[in-house]
Amino acid sequence: MKADSQALKGHLDVLLLATLADGPQHGYAVKEALRDGSNGRFDLPTGTVYPALHRLEAAGLIAGSWSVVDGRRRRSYQLTAAGETKLAGERTNWREFAAAVTAMLEAKPWPATT
Amino acid sequence: MASHHLIETFLAGLARCRLPADALDELADGLAETYHHHLGTGLSPQDAAARALAEFGTTKEINAAFARHSPARRAARLMLVTGPAVGMCWGASLVAARFWTWPIPRPAVIAFVASLLATIAVLAAAATSNTYSRTRIAVMGACAMSLLDLIMLFSIGYAAPGFVWPMALAVPASIARVGLTLRQLPMLVAR
Repeated sequence: MKADSQALKGHLDVLLLATLADGPQHGYAVKEALRDGSNGRFDLPTGTVYPALHRLEAAGLIAGSWSVVDGRRRRSYQLTAAGETKLAGERTNWREFAAAVTAMLEAKPWPATT
Repeated sequence: MASHHLIETFLAGLARCRLPADALDELADGLAETYHHHLGTGLSPQDAAARALAEFGTTKEINAAFARHSPARRAARLMLVTGPAVGMCWGASLVAARFWTWPIPRPAVIAFVASLLATIAVLAAAATSNTYSRTRIAVMGACAMSLLDLIMLFSIGYAAPGFVWPMALAVPASIARVGLTLRQLPMLVAR
């Protein structure tokens, strides 16, 4: 992971779910989607993505299935109904949170004194 | 499928980490995909393999990530977090019921306390491990803790002179912990 490991902490699950919103992906594609979607800020070591995906699968938020590609066994993941619900809820929470923080941090004009 | 000796050596190192079943196939596929991606950009096989391995993370990082997300480690942490509350309930129960008057031999009490401390040590080791295979000792710790719960439940049935109110908390807490362990056991053993 590069510069934003602390920023990513606590948000990894929902970001991984978001990478699967457009359809099934295998681990490497998930990692690439995470990096590309964040303009390179969230660039995890590829090998560390897999255990996080396994945990989401154990939690019932994604489902994995095996296929054979180029002679290699490949596991792809897709959102379950519970995962879609969780992602939708987290999106709403994040928008509300981000709007509140933005409102607080943005510079406001000083009130007129006359 | 063409590979590279650097990648094969790396995968052999990962295989020694005793990661979950099937994880090695998945990691091998991810690594091969990364390697072929870099080959496709025009790098030499040596450089493509080196780049792929650099992107993939070290065996230590990957092992630690599997440990961090391990259900066994989470189970051990849950037991350690909830343990003091259950222990306090039992402590209050034993004091209120004057356990020192119970007809239980002193060596049995000492053996119980020693077993409890050993179990806590096993759970702590699993909860703090950065090695996936070591997190799996949580299974042993969880089973041992359930056995100790059952011994406590049997002991109050056998030796306690009567009911004291803290038992109303301690008994359900122990039964819940045994039930939770039994429910989680198949998943913990499988992974």
